[in-house]
Amino acid sequence: MNLRRKRRWIGGIPTASMSDIAFLLLVFFLSTTRFDIKKGLGLVLPPASEEATQKVRLKEENITKILINKEGQILLRTFDGEEEIQMNQLEAKVRGIVRENPDMVISLKTDRKAKYQFMVMALDRLQAAGAEKISLSTN
Amino acid sequence: MVKIRKKTKAETLIPTASMSDIAFLLLLFFMVSTVFVRERGLKVNLPKAEKIEKIPRNHSATIYVSKSGMISIDDLEVEIPDVQWIMQKKYFDDFNVIACFRTDRDTNYGVMSDILNQLRYANTLRVSFEAKLKR
Repeated sequence: MNLRRKRRWIGGIPTASMSDIAFLLLVFFLSTTRFDIKKGLGLVLPPASEEATQKVRLKEENITKILINKEGQILLRTFDGEEEIQMNQLEAKVRGIVRENPDMVISLKTDRKAKYQFMVMALDRLQAAGAEKISLSTN
Repeated sequence: MVKIRKKTKAETLIPTASMSDIAFLLLLFFMVSTVFVRERGLKVNLPKAEKIEKIPRNHSATIYVSKSGMISIDDLEVEIPDVQWIMQKKYFDDFNVIACFRTDRDTNYGVMSDILNQLRYANTLRVSFEAKLKR
């Protein structure tokens, strides 16, 4: 007669590596999650109060005007004269002007009917050229 | 006769088997309870630029301007003359506020110019034109 005691098997799931998995997932999500970061072109506007605007009186030779019409054509108007230029020439031109006269104020005048993109592209080029005094105005 | 009794050592053990359960539970709790503030804004196609820099998020106030000239601040559609009052309020809440423009690339510049004038009256002089990095 077989009187062997039956062996009971208690089943189990190994949970020791569970925390490893959890941490792995955590690290994965930590490293892959990207919050949308705002990026853009910064600028400081002049104040609107009258006394502040009256103080600033610039000499004509210290102003370079860049005019953009509604087709996106660019006119560079300096004290000496004016010329029509392309967007890709703008950076080099302005870089030369600013190097010559660091006090130069670049006035960016955009037509009201021009696309916003033209103004941003021009502003981008101006900042890339190292111009620090930029003013925005409309035609 | 000296009685030599074997010292019984008490074994101390902290059960760590349920540690991961606790971790998961906490993780799930925070995942479920966290609410991200998400502005719906307007649908815009940002212009592209190269010389872009990061805008500090905690000081920024986003102004959406769509292609048709609609303006939205804090998910509220506003008209151009209202911009001054809204931004003035923001300025008094935070003197370092930066007005971030999320403007469609095909918007007429006239609208932007009007808003910029409003910002000047509201004394929020720091502005930023959001753009995508040109590659």
